[in-house]
Amino acid sequence: MSAAQPVIQVTDLHHTYLRNTPLEVTALKGATLEVLPGEIAGIIGRSGAGKSTLVQHLNGLIRCRQPGKVIVDGQDMADPSIDLKAIRQKVGLIFQRPEQQLFERLVGDDIAFGPKKLGMPPDQRRERVRWAMEMVGLDFEQFKDRYTFSLSGGEMRKAAIAGVLALQPRVLILDEATTGLDPRSRKELLARMLNLHDQHGVTLILVSSNMDEVAQLADRITVMDGGQTVMHGAARQVFGQPEQLSRHGLGVPQVSALAHRLSQRGLTVPRTPLTVAEAAEELWRVLSS
Amino acid sequence: MESFEFLRNVTIGQYFEGHSVVHRIDPRAKITVLVVLAIVNGFMFSYLGNAVLLAVCIGSVLASGISFRFMLSGIKPALPFILMLALLQLLFSGAAYRPYGMPSQTYWQWDGLSVTSGSIQLVSITLMRFLEIFLLVSLLTATSTITDLAYAIESMLRPLQRFGVPAHELSLVGTIALRFVPIFAEQLETLMKAQASRGADFGRGGIFGFVKTARQLVSLLVPLFVDAFRRAEELILAMEARCYTGGRGRTRLVRFRMRRLDRAVVVAALVFAGLMLVFRDRFWF
Repeated sequence: MSAAQPVIQVTDLHHTYLRNTPLEVTALKGATLEVLPGEIAGIIGRSGAGKSTLVQHLNGLIRCRQPGKVIVDGQDMADPSIDLKAIRQKVGLIFQRPEQQLFERLVGDDIAFGPKKLGMPPDQRRERVRWAMEMVGLDFEQFKDRYTFSLSGGEMRKAAIAGVLALQPRVLILDEATTGLDPRSRKELLARMLNLHDQHGVTLILVSSNMDEVAQLADRITVMDGGQTVMHGAARQVFGQPEQLSRHGLGVPQVSALAHRLSQRGLTVPRTPLTVAEAAEELWRVLSS
Repeated sequence: MESFEFLRNVTIGQYFEGHSVVHRIDPRAKITVLVVLAIVNGFMFSYLGNAVLLAVCIGSVLASGISFRFMLSGIKPALPFILMLALLQLLFSGAAYRPYGMPSQTYWQWDGLSVTSGSIQLVSITLMRFLEIFLLVSLLTATSTITDLAYAIESMLRPLQRFGVPAHELSLVGTIALRFVPIFAEQLETLMKAQASRGADFGRGGIFGFVKTARQLVSLLVPLFVDAFRRAEELILAMEARCYTGGRGRTRLVRFRMRRLDRAVVVAALVFAGLMLVFRDRFWF
Protein backbone atom coordinates (compact mmCIF):
# COMPACT_ATOMS: atom_id res chain seq x y z
CA MET A 1 0.00 0.00 0.00
CA SER A 2 2.75 2.42 0.95
CA ALA A 3 4.51 1.96 -2.36
CA ALA A 4 1.48 3.03 -4.39
CA GLN A 5 1.47 6.45 -5.98
CA PRO A 6 -1.33 8.59 -4.47
CA VAL A 7 -4.17 9.42 -6.91
CA ILE A 8 -4.76 12.69 -5.18
CA GLN A 9 -2.16 14.80 -3.49
CA VAL A 10 -2.92 18.23 -2.11
CA THR A 11 -0.20 20.22 -0.45
CA ASP A 12 -0.57 23.44 1.50
CA LEU A 13 -3.62 24.62 -0.41
CA HIS A 14 -5.03 28.10 0.09
CA HIS A 15 -8.27 29.50 -1.21
CA THR A 16 -10.18 32.74 -0.70
CA TYR A 17 -13.67 33.19 -2.12
CA LEU A 18 -14.54 36.51 -3.77
CA ARG A 19 -10.97 37.65 -3.50
CA ASN A 20 -10.36 41.39 -3.80
CA THR A 21 -13.95 42.25 -2.98
CA PRO A 22 -15.38 43.47 0.33
CA LEU A 23 -17.06 40.07 0.66
CA GLU A 24 -13.95 37.92 0.59
CA VAL A 25 -13.91 34.84 2.80
CA THR A 26 -10.86 32.69 3.35
CA ALA A 27 -11.89 29.06 3.27
CA LEU A 28 -8.56 27.26 3.02
CA LYS A 29 -5.21 28.19 4.47
CA GLY A 30 -2.91 25.26 4.27
CA ALA A 31 -4.95 22.15 3.55
CA THR A 32 -3.17 18.90 2.89
CA LEU A 33 -4.66 15.67 1.62
CA GLU A 34 -3.37 12.41 0.25
CA VAL A 35 -5.54 9.68 -1.18
CA LEU A 36 -4.15 6.35 -2.31
CA PRO A 37 -5.73 4.43 -5.18
CA GLY A 38 -8.37 1.99 -3.99
CA GLU A 39 -8.67 3.27 -0.46
CA ILE A 40 -11.61 4.85 1.34
CA ALA A 41 -10.58 8.22 2.67
CA GLY A 42 -12.62 10.22 5.15
CA ILE A 43 -12.58 13.98 5.54
CA ILE A 44 -14.16 15.27 8.72
CA GLY A 45 -14.41 18.65 10.36
CA ARG A 46 -17.00 21.01 11.77
CA SER A 47 -19.04 23.13 9.38
CA GLY A 48 -17.02 25.94 7.87
CA ALA A 49 -13.80 23.96 8.17
CA GLY A 50 -13.24 24.08 4.40
CA LYS A 51 -14.09 20.47 3.49
CA SER A 52 -16.34 21.33 0.57
CA THR A 53 -13.91 23.89 -0.78
CA LEU A 54 -11.15 21.33 -0.61
CA VAL A 55 -13.01 18.62 -2.51
CA GLN A 56 -14.18 21.07 -5.17
CA HIS A 57 -10.53 21.54 -6.04
CA LEU A 58 -10.22 17.84 -6.77
CA ASN A 59 -12.25 17.87 -9.98
CA GLY A 60 -11.38 21.37 -11.08
CA LEU A 61 -14.53 23.18 -10.04
CA ILE A 62 -12.23 25.55 -8.24
CA ARG A 63 -8.91 26.09 -9.97
CA CYS A 64 -5.96 26.72 -7.78
CA ARG A 65 -4.58 30.11 -8.67
CA GLN A 66 -3.63 30.72 -5.07
CA PRO A 67 -0.74 29.16 -3.14
CA GLY A 68 -0.79 25.39 -2.94
CA LYS A 69 -0.59 22.41 -5.21
CA VAL A 70 -3.26 19.95 -6.29
CA ILE A 71 -2.18 16.85 -8.17
CA VAL A 72 -4.87 14.52 -9.46
CA ASP A 73 -3.79 11.31 -11.13
CA GLY A 74 -0.36 12.74 -11.84
CA GLN A 75 -1.68 15.97 -13.34
CA ASP A 76 -1.09 19.37 -11.82
CA MET A 77 -4.48 21.08 -11.66
CA ALA A 78 -2.92 24.53 -11.93
CA ASP A 79 -1.84 23.74 -15.48
CA PRO A 80 -4.22 25.72 -17.71
CA SER A 81 -3.97 23.19 -20.54
CA ILE A 82 -5.38 20.18 -18.70
CA ASP A 83 -8.55 18.58 -19.99
CA LEU A 84 -11.08 19.38 -17.28
CA LYS A 85 -13.73 17.19 -18.83
CA ALA A 86 -11.42 14.19 -18.60
CA ILE A 87 -10.61 15.03 -14.98
CA ARG A 88 -14.29 15.35 -14.13
CA GLN A 89 -14.95 11.99 -15.70
CA LYS A 90 -12.18 10.47 -13.64
CA VAL A 91 -13.15 12.17 -10.39
CA GLY A 92 -16.89 12.16 -9.72
CA LEU A 93 -18.26 14.59 -7.17
CA ILE A 94 -21.64 14.11 -5.53
CA PHE A 95 -22.88 17.24 -3.86
CA GLN A 96 -24.98 17.72 -0.79
CA ARG A 97 -28.64 17.10 -1.67
CA PRO A 98 -27.84 15.96 -5.20
CA GLU A 99 -31.54 15.43 -6.01
CA GLN A 100 -31.76 19.19 -6.56
CA GLN A 101 -29.78 18.93 -9.77
CA LEU A 102 -32.23 16.69 -11.66
CA PHE A 103 -33.78 18.39 -14.65
CA GLU A 104 -34.79 15.93 -17.39
CA ARG A 105 -38.36 14.73 -17.68
CA LEU A 106 -37.50 11.04 -17.52
CA VAL A 107 -35.19 9.38 -15.04
CA GLY A 108 -33.25 7.50 -17.72
CA ASP A 109 -32.58 10.67 -19.71
CA ASP A 110 -31.31 12.46 -16.65
CA ILE A 111 -28.84 9.71 -15.83
CA ALA A 112 -27.76 9.62 -19.48
CA PHE A 113 -26.85 13.32 -19.38
CA GLY A 114 -23.19 12.70 -18.54
CA PRO A 115 -22.54 9.90 -21.05
CA LYS A 116 -24.31 11.96 -23.71
CA LYS A 117 -21.98 14.88 -23.01
CA LEU A 118 -19.09 12.48 -23.48
CA GLY A 119 -20.44 11.80 -26.97
CA MET A 120 -21.20 8.13 -26.39
CA PRO A 121 -23.33 6.22 -28.94
CA PRO A 122 -26.91 5.47 -27.75
CA ASP A 123 -26.52 1.72 -27.11
CA GLN A 124 -23.38 2.26 -25.05
CA ARG A 125 -25.11 5.07 -23.23
CA ARG A 126 -27.96 2.73 -22.42
CA GLU A 127 -25.54 0.21 -20.94
CA ARG A 128 -23.96 2.89 -18.79
CA VAL A 129 -27.35 3.99 -17.50
CA ARG A 130 -28.34 0.40 -16.77
CA TRP A 131 -25.10 -0.16 -14.89
CA ALA A 132 -25.36 3.07 -12.90
CA MET A 133 -28.97 2.37 -11.93
CA GLU A 134 -28.08 -1.12 -10.84
CA MET A 135 -25.26 0.30 -8.72
CA VAL A 136 -27.59 2.60 -6.78
CA GLY A 137 -30.40 0.05 -6.56
CA LEU A 138 -32.94 1.41 -9.03
CA ASP A 139 -34.47 -1.19 -11.33
CA PHE A 140 -33.63 -0.20 -14.91
CA GLU A 141 -36.83 -1.41 -16.58
CA GLN A 142 -39.03 -0.10 -13.83
CA PHE A 143 -37.54 3.33 -13.37
CA LYS A 144 -36.00 4.47 -16.63
CA ASP A 145 -39.27 5.82 -18.04
CA ARG A 146 -40.65 7.25 -14.82
CA TYR A 147 -41.12 11.00 -14.53
CA THR A 148 -38.17 12.42 -12.61
CA PHE A 149 -40.27 14.65 -10.44
CA SER A 150 -42.70 11.90 -9.49
CA LEU A 151 -40.00 9.97 -7.60
CA SER A 152 -39.80 9.95 -3.83
CA GLY A 153 -37.02 11.89 -2.12
CA GLY A 154 -34.85 8.80 -1.61
CA GLU A 155 -35.36 7.60 -5.19
CA MET A 156 -34.49 11.04 -6.52
CA ARG A 157 -31.26 10.98 -4.60
CA LYS A 158 -30.42 7.56 -6.00
CA ALA A 159 -31.16 8.79 -9.52
CA ALA A 160 -28.94 11.82 -9.00
CA ILE A 161 -26.09 9.67 -7.73
CA ALA A 162 -26.55 7.34 -10.68
CA GLY A 163 -26.14 10.41 -12.90
CA VAL A 164 -22.62 10.84 -11.58
CA LEU A 165 -21.83 7.11 -11.57
CA ALA A 166 -22.82 6.90 -15.25
CA LEU A 167 -19.50 8.59 -16.02
CA GLN A 168 -17.78 5.62 -14.35
CA PRO A 169 -15.42 7.71 -12.26
CA ARG A 170 -12.40 6.03 -10.73
CA VAL A 171 -12.52 8.32 -7.73
CA LEU A 172 -15.87 9.15 -6.18
CA ILE A 173 -16.28 12.01 -3.73
CA LEU A 174 -19.38 12.02 -1.54
CA ASP A 175 -19.86 15.45 0.02
CA GLU A 176 -22.33 14.81 2.84
CA ALA A 177 -24.30 12.60 0.47
CA THR A 178 -26.38 10.97 3.20
CA THR A 179 -27.67 14.18 4.79
CA GLY A 180 -31.43 14.27 5.12
CA LEU A 181 -31.96 10.56 4.52
CA ASP A 182 -33.67 8.30 7.01
CA PRO A 183 -31.37 5.83 8.84
CA ARG A 184 -32.32 2.89 6.66
CA SER A 185 -31.73 4.69 3.32
CA ARG A 186 -28.53 6.05 4.77
CA LYS A 187 -27.30 2.57 5.56
CA GLU A 188 -28.38 1.25 2.17
CA LEU A 189 -26.64 4.05 0.30
CA LEU A 190 -23.40 3.52 2.18
CA ALA A 191 -23.58 -0.22 1.56
CA ARG A 192 -23.99 0.41 -2.15
CA MET A 193 -21.04 2.77 -2.21
CA LEU A 194 -19.00 0.21 -0.33
CA ASN A 195 -20.00 -2.37 -2.92
CA LEU A 196 -18.83 -0.01 -5.65
CA HIS A 197 -15.49 0.18 -3.90
CA ASP A 198 -15.16 -3.57 -3.32
CA GLN A 199 -16.46 -4.80 -6.68
CA HIS A 200 -15.17 -2.12 -9.01
CA GLY A 201 -12.16 -0.76 -7.17
CA VAL A 202 -13.48 2.79 -7.02
CA THR A 203 -11.55 5.04 -4.67
CA LEU A 204 -13.98 6.70 -2.26
CA ILE A 205 -13.62 10.01 -0.50
CA LEU A 206 -16.25 10.52 2.18
CA VAL A 207 -16.86 14.01 3.47
CA SER A 208 -19.07 13.77 6.49
CA SER A 209 -19.93 15.20 9.83
CA ASN A 210 -21.28 11.85 10.98
CA MET A 211 -18.42 10.17 12.85
CA ASP A 212 -20.04 6.73 13.05
CA GLU A 213 -20.46 6.65 9.31
CA VAL A 214 -16.87 7.61 8.60
CA ALA A 215 -15.50 5.23 11.22
CA GLN A 216 -17.35 2.29 9.68
CA LEU A 217 -15.96 2.81 6.21
CA ALA A 218 -12.84 4.92 6.05
CA ASP A 219 -9.32 3.48 6.08
CA ARG A 220 -7.65 6.79 6.66
CA ILE A 221 -8.99 10.06 7.95
CA THR A 222 -8.11 13.69 7.45
CA VAL A 223 -9.39 16.16 10.02
CA MET A 224 -9.86 19.77 9.00
CA ASP A 225 -10.41 22.86 11.09
CA GLY A 226 -10.27 26.53 10.17
CA GLY A 227 -9.19 25.79 6.60
CA GLN A 228 -6.24 23.65 7.66
CA THR A 229 -5.53 19.98 7.91
CA VAL A 230 -5.06 19.44 11.63
CA MET A 231 -4.85 15.67 11.95
CA HIS A 232 -4.54 12.76 9.66
CA GLY A 233 -3.82 9.11 9.89
CA ALA A 234 -5.46 5.70 10.10
CA ALA A 235 -9.06 5.80 11.30
CA ARG A 236 -8.24 3.91 14.48
CA GLN A 237 -5.41 6.23 15.31
CA VAL A 238 -7.44 9.41 14.75
CA PHE A 239 -10.46 8.19 16.71
CA GLY A 240 -8.13 7.06 19.49
CA GLN A 241 -7.52 10.70 20.37
CA PRO A 242 -10.88 12.02 21.55
CA GLU A 243 -9.44 15.00 23.44
CA GLN A 244 -7.68 16.34 20.39
CA LEU A 245 -10.76 15.78 18.22
CA SER A 246 -12.99 17.63 20.63
CA ARG A 247 -10.62 20.57 20.49
CA HIS A 248 -11.56 20.78 16.80
CA GLY A 249 -15.25 20.60 17.58
CA LEU A 250 -15.62 16.92 16.75
CA GLY A 251 -16.67 13.86 18.62
CA VAL A 252 -15.71 10.23 18.16
CA PRO A 253 -17.95 7.32 17.14
CA GLN A 254 -20.17 6.18 19.99
CA VAL A 255 -18.36 2.87 20.42
CA SER A 256 -14.95 4.57 20.49
CA ALA A 257 -16.24 6.98 23.12
CA LEU A 258 -17.46 4.04 25.17
CA ALA A 259 -14.07 2.34 25.00
CA HIS A 260 -12.36 5.57 25.93
CA ARG A 261 -14.59 6.07 28.94
CA LEU A 262 -13.99 2.52 30.08
CA SER A 263 -10.25 3.14 29.85
CA GLN A 264 -10.63 6.24 31.99
CA ARG A 265 -12.41 4.17 34.62
CA GLY A 266 -9.52 1.72 34.65
CA LEU A 267 -10.71 -0.96 32.25
CA THR A 268 -8.13 -0.69 29.48
CA VAL A 269 -9.36 -1.40 25.96
CA PRO A 270 -6.16 -1.79 23.93
CA ARG A 271 -7.64 -1.37 20.44
CA THR A 272 -10.05 1.53 19.76
CA PRO A 273 -13.17 -0.07 18.30
CA LEU A 274 -14.75 1.61 15.28
CA THR A 275 -17.88 -0.47 14.81
CA VAL A 276 -20.35 -2.12 17.13
CA ALA A 277 -19.09 -5.58 16.14
CA GLU A 278 -15.51 -4.61 16.92
CA ALA A 279 -16.55 -3.13 20.24
CA ALA A 280 -18.35 -6.32 21.24
CA GLU A 281 -15.32 -8.39 20.32
CA GLU A 282 -12.91 -6.09 22.18
CA LEU A 283 -15.06 -5.98 25.28
CA TRP A 284 -15.49 -9.72 25.24
CA ARG A 285 -11.72 -10.15 25.12
CA VAL A 286 -11.03 -7.57 27.84
CA LEU A 287 -13.70 -8.86 30.17
CA SER A 288 -12.84 -12.52 29.72
CA SER A 289 -9.11 -12.12 30.32
CA MET B 1 -15.95 29.62 -17.80
CA GLU B 2 -14.18 27.84 -14.97
CA SER B 3 -15.01 30.46 -12.45
CA PHE B 4 -18.34 29.96 -10.77
CA GLU B 5 -18.32 32.96 -8.47
CA PHE B 6 -21.54 34.75 -9.32
CA LEU B 7 -21.76 36.89 -6.23
CA ARG B 8 -18.71 38.69 -7.51
CA ASN B 9 -20.91 40.30 -10.14
CA VAL B 10 -23.96 41.04 -8.05
CA THR B 11 -23.22 44.48 -6.66
CA ILE B 12 -26.73 45.94 -6.84
CA GLY B 13 -28.75 44.72 -3.90
CA GLN B 14 -25.75 43.78 -1.79
CA TYR B 15 -25.53 45.45 1.61
CA PHE B 16 -22.21 46.37 3.20
CA GLU B 17 -22.10 47.13 6.85
CA GLY B 18 -20.63 50.48 7.74
CA HIS B 19 -20.99 53.57 9.87
CA SER B 20 -20.45 56.31 7.33
CA VAL B 21 -22.70 59.34 6.97
CA VAL B 22 -24.36 57.71 3.98
CA HIS B 23 -25.17 54.64 6.06
CA ARG B 24 -26.71 56.73 8.80
CA ILE B 25 -29.05 58.81 6.68
CA ASP B 26 -32.70 57.82 7.02
CA PRO B 27 -33.58 55.43 4.19
CA ARG B 28 -36.60 57.55 3.27
CA ALA B 29 -34.31 60.53 2.80
CA LYS B 30 -31.99 58.39 0.68
CA ILE B 31 -34.83 57.22 -1.54
CA THR B 32 -36.04 60.80 -1.95
CA VAL B 33 -32.57 61.97 -2.91
CA LEU B 34 -32.26 59.09 -5.37
CA VAL B 35 -35.56 59.99 -7.04
CA VAL B 36 -34.68 63.69 -7.20
CA LEU B 37 -31.25 63.02 -8.70
CA ALA B 38 -32.73 60.52 -11.15
CA ILE B 39 -35.12 63.22 -12.38
CA VAL B 40 -32.22 65.63 -12.84
CA ASN B 41 -30.37 62.86 -14.64
CA GLY B 42 -33.29 62.53 -17.04
CA PHE B 43 -33.03 66.17 -18.07
CA MET B 44 -29.28 66.50 -18.44
CA PHE B 45 -27.99 66.45 -21.98
CA SER B 46 -24.87 68.60 -21.65
CA TYR B 47 -21.29 67.53 -20.89
CA LEU B 48 -20.84 69.95 -18.04
CA GLY B 49 -24.15 69.16 -16.37
CA ASN B 50 -23.41 65.45 -16.41
CA ALA B 51 -19.87 66.00 -15.19
CA VAL B 52 -21.27 67.82 -12.16
CA LEU B 53 -23.82 65.09 -11.54
CA LEU B 54 -21.24 62.34 -11.93
CA ALA B 55 -18.98 64.15 -9.49
CA VAL B 56 -21.82 64.24 -6.96
CA CYS B 57 -22.43 60.49 -7.40
CA ILE B 58 -18.76 59.58 -7.09
CA GLY B 59 -18.45 61.88 -4.10
CA SER B 60 -21.32 60.09 -2.34
CA VAL B 61 -19.80 56.69 -3.05
CA LEU B 62 -16.46 57.83 -1.63
CA ALA B 63 -18.24 59.23 1.43
CA SER B 64 -19.83 55.83 2.06
CA GLY B 65 -16.42 54.18 2.41
CA ILE B 66 -17.32 51.36 0.05
CA SER B 67 -14.71 50.31 -2.47
CA PHE B 68 -15.39 52.25 -5.66
CA ARG B 69 -13.63 49.64 -7.75
CA PHE B 70 -15.83 46.87 -6.41
CA MET B 71 -18.97 48.84 -7.12
CA LEU B 72 -17.89 49.42 -10.69
CA SER B 73 -17.16 45.73 -11.12
CA GLY B 74 -20.94 45.18 -11.11
CA ILE B 75 -21.08 46.68 -14.60
CA LYS B 76 -18.64 44.16 -16.02
CA PRO B 77 -21.16 41.50 -17.14
CA ALA B 78 -23.21 44.18 -18.94
CA LEU B 79 -20.18 45.73 -20.62
CA PRO B 80 -20.46 43.92 -24.00
CA PHE B 81 -24.05 45.11 -24.42
CA ILE B 82 -23.22 48.64 -23.36
CA LEU B 83 -20.35 48.84 -25.84
CA MET B 84 -22.48 47.39 -28.61
CA LEU B 85 -25.23 49.95 -27.98
CA ALA B 86 -22.70 52.76 -27.80
CA LEU B 87 -21.25 51.72 -31.15
CA LEU B 88 -24.66 51.60 -32.80
CA GLN B 89 -25.54 55.01 -31.40
CA LEU B 90 -22.24 56.42 -32.56
CA LEU B 91 -22.69 55.24 -36.15
CA PHE B 92 -26.42 55.50 -36.77
CA SER B 93 -27.62 58.55 -34.89
CA GLY B 94 -25.10 61.01 -36.31
CA ALA B 95 -27.55 62.64 -38.70
CA ALA B 96 -30.51 62.71 -36.37
CA TYR B 97 -28.95 63.95 -33.15
CA ARG B 98 -27.89 67.54 -32.91
CA PRO B 99 -25.35 68.42 -30.27
CA TYR B 100 -26.54 70.38 -27.34
CA GLY B 101 -25.54 74.03 -27.45
CA MET B 102 -22.93 73.64 -30.19
CA PRO B 103 -22.92 73.72 -34.00
CA SER B 104 -22.89 70.26 -35.48
CA GLN B 105 -19.73 68.96 -37.05
CA THR B 106 -19.32 65.89 -39.17
CA TYR B 107 -16.11 63.94 -38.69
CA TRP B 108 -16.72 60.89 -40.85
CA GLN B 109 -19.40 59.80 -43.25
CA TRP B 110 -20.06 56.70 -45.33
CA ASP B 111 -23.27 55.52 -46.95
CA GLY B 112 -25.76 56.53 -44.27
CA LEU B 113 -23.33 56.00 -41.41
CA SER B 114 -21.79 59.04 -39.88
CA VAL B 115 -19.87 60.16 -36.85
CA THR B 116 -20.71 63.71 -35.86
CA SER B 117 -20.05 65.83 -32.82
CA GLY B 118 -23.74 65.21 -32.06
CA SER B 119 -23.42 61.42 -32.04
CA ILE B 120 -20.23 61.56 -29.99
CA GLN B 121 -22.02 63.70 -27.46
CA LEU B 122 -25.01 61.37 -27.44
CA VAL B 123 -22.79 58.36 -26.71
CA SER B 124 -20.73 60.00 -23.98
CA ILE B 125 -23.77 61.52 -22.30
CA THR B 126 -25.66 58.23 -22.40
CA LEU B 127 -22.72 56.42 -20.80
CA MET B 128 -22.37 59.05 -18.12
CA ARG B 129 -26.08 59.01 -17.33
CA PHE B 130 -26.06 55.24 -17.13
CA LEU B 131 -23.09 55.32 -14.78
CA GLU B 132 -24.75 57.92 -12.56
CA ILE B 133 -27.97 55.92 -12.17
CA PHE B 134 -25.99 52.71 -11.62
CA LEU B 135 -23.89 54.29 -8.87
CA LEU B 136 -26.90 55.83 -7.15
CA VAL B 137 -28.91 52.61 -7.06
CA SER B 138 -25.91 50.55 -5.97
CA LEU B 139 -25.15 53.06 -3.26
CA LEU B 140 -28.72 53.00 -1.95
CA THR B 141 -28.78 49.22 -1.60
CA ALA B 142 -25.17 49.04 -0.40
CA THR B 143 -25.78 51.37 2.51
CA SER B 144 -29.30 50.41 3.59
CA THR B 145 -30.43 47.02 4.81
CA ILE B 146 -33.33 45.41 3.04
CA THR B 147 -35.61 45.78 6.05
CA ASP B 148 -34.79 49.49 6.25
CA LEU B 149 -35.64 49.91 2.58
CA ALA B 150 -38.86 47.97 2.96
CA TYR B 151 -39.87 50.11 5.90
CA ALA B 152 -39.00 53.28 4.03
CA ILE B 153 -41.01 52.29 0.96
CA GLU B 154 -43.93 51.27 3.09
CA SER B 155 -44.00 54.50 5.03
CA MET B 156 -43.57 56.58 1.88
CA LEU B 157 -46.44 54.77 0.18
CA ARG B 158 -48.72 54.94 3.20
CA PRO B 159 -50.39 58.24 2.19
CA LEU B 160 -51.46 56.49 -1.03
CA GLN B 161 -53.20 53.73 0.89
CA ARG B 162 -56.33 55.85 0.87
CA PHE B 163 -56.46 55.42 -2.88
CA GLY B 164 -56.18 51.66 -2.64
CA VAL B 165 -52.39 51.31 -3.00
CA PRO B 166 -51.33 48.22 -1.00
CA ALA B 167 -48.33 49.85 0.66
CA HIS B 168 -47.38 47.04 3.02
CA GLU B 169 -47.81 44.30 0.44
CA LEU B 170 -45.77 46.17 -2.17
CA SER B 171 -42.88 46.68 0.22
CA LEU B 172 -43.09 43.04 1.31
CA VAL B 173 -42.94 41.83 -2.29
CA GLY B 174 -39.96 44.08 -2.91
CA THR B 175 -38.16 42.82 0.21
CA ILE B 176 -38.67 39.18 -0.68
CA ALA B 177 -37.52 39.73 -4.25
CA LEU B 178 -34.34 41.48 -3.16
CA ARG B 179 -33.65 38.98 -0.40
CA PHE B 180 -33.78 36.10 -2.84
CA VAL B 181 -31.28 37.49 -5.33
CA PRO B 182 -28.16 36.31 -3.47
CA ILE B 183 -29.86 33.03 -2.56
CA PHE B 184 -30.57 32.23 -6.18
CA ALA B 185 -27.13 33.37 -7.25
CA GLU B 186 -25.68 30.88 -4.80
CA GLN B 187 -28.07 28.13 -5.86
CA LEU B 188 -27.18 28.74 -9.50
CA GLU B 189 -23.52 28.45 -8.62
CA THR B 190 -24.07 25.10 -6.90
CA LEU B 191 -26.15 23.83 -9.82
CA MET B 192 -23.54 24.85 -12.36
CA LYS B 193 -20.90 23.05 -10.37
CA ALA B 194 -23.07 19.96 -10.04
CA GLN B 195 -23.85 19.82 -13.75
CA ALA B 196 -20.24 20.54 -14.64
CA SER B 197 -19.29 17.61 -12.42
CA ARG B 198 -21.27 15.32 -14.65
CA GLY B 199 -19.97 16.58 -17.92
CA ALA B 200 -21.80 19.82 -18.72
CA ASP B 201 -19.65 22.38 -20.42
CA PHE B 202 -20.91 25.91 -19.95
CA GLY B 203 -19.99 28.83 -22.12
CA ARG B 204 -17.95 26.98 -24.68
CA GLY B 205 -20.64 27.11 -27.38
CA GLY B 206 -18.88 29.91 -29.21
CA ILE B 207 -20.70 32.73 -30.99
CA PHE B 208 -22.59 30.43 -33.33
CA GLY B 209 -23.15 27.81 -30.70
CA PHE B 210 -25.86 29.76 -28.96
CA VAL B 211 -28.43 27.03 -29.58
CA LYS B 212 -26.14 24.63 -27.76
CA THR B 213 -25.55 27.18 -25.01
CA ALA B 214 -29.30 27.71 -24.64
CA ARG B 215 -29.83 23.96 -24.38
CA GLN B 216 -27.21 23.80 -21.64
CA LEU B 217 -29.20 26.39 -19.72
CA VAL B 218 -32.14 23.99 -19.45
CA SER B 219 -30.07 21.91 -17.04
CA LEU B 220 -29.82 24.97 -14.80
CA LEU B 221 -33.17 26.67 -15.25
CA VAL B 222 -35.37 23.65 -14.55
CA PRO B 223 -33.78 22.87 -11.16
CA LEU B 224 -33.63 26.57 -10.34
CA PHE B 225 -37.38 26.95 -10.92
CA VAL B 226 -38.14 23.81 -8.94
CA ASP B 227 -36.05 25.23 -6.12
CA ALA B 228 -37.76 28.62 -6.32
CA PHE B 229 -41.19 27.06 -5.98
CA ARG B 230 -40.03 24.91 -3.11
CA ARG B 231 -38.61 27.92 -1.29
CA ALA B 232 -41.76 29.93 -1.93
CA GLU B 233 -43.84 27.20 -0.36
CA GLU B 234 -41.52 27.01 2.62
CA LEU B 235 -41.73 30.77 3.03
CA ILE B 236 -45.54 30.65 2.96
CA LEU B 237 -45.52 27.96 5.62
CA ALA B 238 -43.10 29.90 7.78
CA MET B 239 -45.23 33.04 7.50
CA GLU B 240 -48.42 31.15 8.28
CA ALA B 241 -46.76 29.49 11.24
CA ARG B 242 -45.96 32.91 12.65
CA CYS B 243 -49.53 34.09 12.17
CA TYR B 244 -48.72 36.59 9.46
CA THR B 245 -51.84 38.57 8.62
CA GLY B 246 -50.52 41.51 6.66
CA GLY B 247 -49.55 44.99 7.75
CA ARG B 248 -52.69 45.91 9.68
CA GLY B 249 -51.98 46.63 13.30
CA ARG B 250 -48.34 45.64 13.05
CA THR B 251 -45.86 47.62 15.13
CA ARG B 252 -42.10 47.94 14.75
CA LEU B 253 -39.19 47.60 17.09
CA VAL B 254 -37.06 50.17 15.28
CA ARG B 255 -38.79 53.36 14.22
CA PHE B 256 -37.20 55.92 12.00
CA ARG B 257 -37.46 59.58 12.67
CA MET B 258 -36.23 62.20 10.25
CA ARG B 259 -33.44 64.07 11.96
CA ARG B 260 -31.80 67.34 11.07
CA LEU B 261 -29.16 65.59 8.97
CA ASP B 262 -31.81 63.77 6.96
CA ARG B 263 -33.80 66.92 6.31
CA ALA B 264 -30.65 68.80 5.38
CA VAL B 265 -29.71 66.12 2.85
CA VAL B 266 -33.15 66.20 1.24
CA VAL B 267 -33.21 70.00 1.12
CA ALA B 268 -29.70 70.08 -0.32
CA ALA B 269 -30.70 67.58 -3.02
CA LEU B 270 -33.80 69.61 -3.87
CA VAL B 271 -31.85 72.86 -4.09
CA PHE B 272 -29.14 71.20 -6.18
CA ALA B 273 -31.78 69.70 -8.49
CA GLY B 274 -33.60 73.00 -8.81
CA LEU B 275 -30.41 74.84 -9.74
CA MET B 276 -29.39 72.17 -12.23
CA LEU B 277 -32.79 72.20 -13.89
CA VAL B 278 -33.21 75.98 -13.96
CA PHE B 279 -29.77 76.61 -15.36
CA ARG B 280 -29.52 73.56 -17.57
CA ASP B 281 -29.63 75.78 -20.68
CA ARG B 282 -26.69 77.80 -19.39
CA PHE B 283 -24.42 74.77 -19.55
CA TRP B 284 -23.36 75.66 -23.04
CA PHE B 285 -20.89 72.84 -23.31
